[in-house]
Amino acid sequence: MTPHEWKRLKALFTGALDQPEATRESWLEEHAAGDEVLAREAAALLRAHDTAEGFLEIPPQVDPADVAEVDAEAPGTRLGPYVIEYCIDNGGQGIVYCARDTRLERRVALKALPPFDDGNPELRERLRREARAAATIAHRAVATVYALEEIDGRLFIASEFIDGGTLRQEIDRGALEPARALSIAADIADALCAAHAAGVIHRDLKPANVMIAINGSIKVVDFGIARVRGVDTRLTRTGAAVGTPAYMPPEQLIAGNSDLRSDIYAVGVILTEMLTGQHPFAPGRRPVPLAAAEVTSRCLQPDPANRYQTADDLSQALQTALEEAADGTVSVEPMSTGNRSARWWWEFHQAMVSLVYAAMLWPAWLARGSIGGNVGNALFVATLAAAVVAITLRLHLWFTARFYPAELAWARQRARGWVISSDMVLSGALILAGGLIGDTSGAVAVLDIAAGIGSASASLLIEPATTRAAFRV
Amino acid sequence: MPLVYEELRRIAAGYLRRERPGQTLQATALVNEAFVRLAAARPRPFANRTHFLAIAALSMRQILVQRARARRAAKRGGLPKQVTLDERVLMGNTPGIDILALDEALSRLAILDADLARIVELRYFAGLTVEETAEAVGSSPATVKRHWAMARAWLKRAMDGGQDDGADHEP
Repeated sequence: MTPHEWKRLKALFTGALDQPEATRESWLEEHAAGDEVLAREAAALLRAHDTAEGFLEIPPQVDPADVAEVDAEAPGTRLGPYVIEYCIDNGGQGIVYCARDTRLERRVALKALPPFDDGNPELRERLRREARAAATIAHRAVATVYALEEIDGRLFIASEFIDGGTLRQEIDRGALEPARALSIAADIADALCAAHAAGVIHRDLKPANVMIAINGSIKVVDFGIARVRGVDTRLTRTGAAVGTPAYMPPEQLIAGNSDLRSDIYAVGVILTEMLTGQHPFAPGRRPVPLAAAEVTSRCLQPDPANRYQTADDLSQALQTALEEAADGTVSVEPMSTGNRSARWWWEFHQAMVSLVYAAMLWPAWLARGSIGGNVGNALFVATLAAAVVAITLRLHLWFTARFYPAELAWARQRARGWVISSDMVLSGALILAGGLIGDTSGAVAVLDIAAGIGSASASLLIEPATTRAAFRV
Repeated sequence: MPLVYEELRRIAAGYLRRERPGQTLQATALVNEAFVRLAAARPRPFANRTHFLAIAALSMRQILVQRARARRAAKRGGLPKQVTLDERVLMGNTPGIDILALDEALSRLAILDADLARIVELRYFAGLTVEETAEAVGSSPATVKRHWAMARAWLKRAMDGGQDDGADHEP
């Protein structure tokens, strides 16, 4: 069924439903515009609707004992050339073993489907696709796939064995050092650059899918639900229900859409977790250190258009944050505790400037009277417009600083150009008005010029100083 | 971890620990409890309620599907009658619904119409009312009611082995 046909079917069905039961059939005939197939389909749906009384109306019952336990192979079991050493991970989605490849005498990670799913052709295809997707990426931070094996009818992926633990385990032991967290995030971003360049979107990035080797290097694993460019996405029919909700961006959760920016969102969640030990949406979460605040805030933007658009951009932003954290130009302290007094002055500055700008409308109004005519009106309108923009933006920043500190870096960046422009227009209009008044009303002229020069210097000299003090160490 | 999935599991495990054998829970109750614990806590932990509900509905669907798969596996391993009987007892007077068949049909519906599938997830798996669903998906209750009716009819037909659901008819 094409999307167009579906739309028509939907219109027919819902339209007929609004009719009294007796006239539904004739209504359908009339509105199907001769398309018999569609009319039949709609009629069948209406019949199904009539028998669906109570269907799905009662929410499902949940047995608390709902955890899927899976029988893992015992150590020492031989699977073709592999000998199982132990079970690394046993989840509902798959089992991962540490095994020895007896041919090459090396350790491998063997991933298999849970026994009860091994006969499911769709899940088998997914495992094959996982192997192929991961195999197209050659990168130091992506676990290398060695082979896709079929042994006694069971399917396995043999890949690089990483001796170490998962990032999940590391985070569960507590928040990471900011520099370490940023460097891990940068490695993940680099792995994503390689994956995205190969046309692969991971779609299930989470701390449990990032391995940390004993030497500290990281590897991204589990491309189980990755999407590969050029591959029919309908193959992941169960795609609607896969993934890990807590790491999925709104568009993937709500509309089922995902692109490479979904991976970028996931990095934002992971980085926040590394820095604070808590999920970004955890109640009462500790703030993210300043050096990383902008990166996490941009990654976690609900609208994908506001995130970093590529893994390259993300990687660069992380490098910059890492350098700034390393040379001490940006605090690695959480925002709310670091430099509270400087921040207070910055907030005070925003509030004061808003007040002063509002007060300046009075001399501007007087100047308008003195100058008169269109010029006077135009100058006053310019002053008024600039003041409104500048005040609105400053109050927005002040409000953000008070109530959404994590968003502040991003908000400041977006507002910066507009703030400076409106400041300059305001100062310019005031100075010009003062000049035009000339002798007719000396006091007002002096007041206007002084206000103009004052606001210009406040914007160009004082504000950058308070901003630097508040946001740089 | 304040993740909905884990929170739902933890709540369920809590009920299990309190040793109420044979106790089953309404999915709605679990979702509500998770919401109260996570979202009602001091600062709003989720981007918005919609975000939370989408996560909760999907988590619930995954949990139920996983459980159903494990049960099916257990059935294959023997004791088929007992498990079936057990299930019927546990289900109380709820008409039994094959979660796996529903999951499969729902995935096919999502290909045709993601909005309709989302409404089913919210209505059935998160137990939202029509009004709450309308709020969550940002449309009117009347529209949700119509779409819900269509989704239910389509799913009923697909699950009853209705001849042709049209999902495989891509050109």
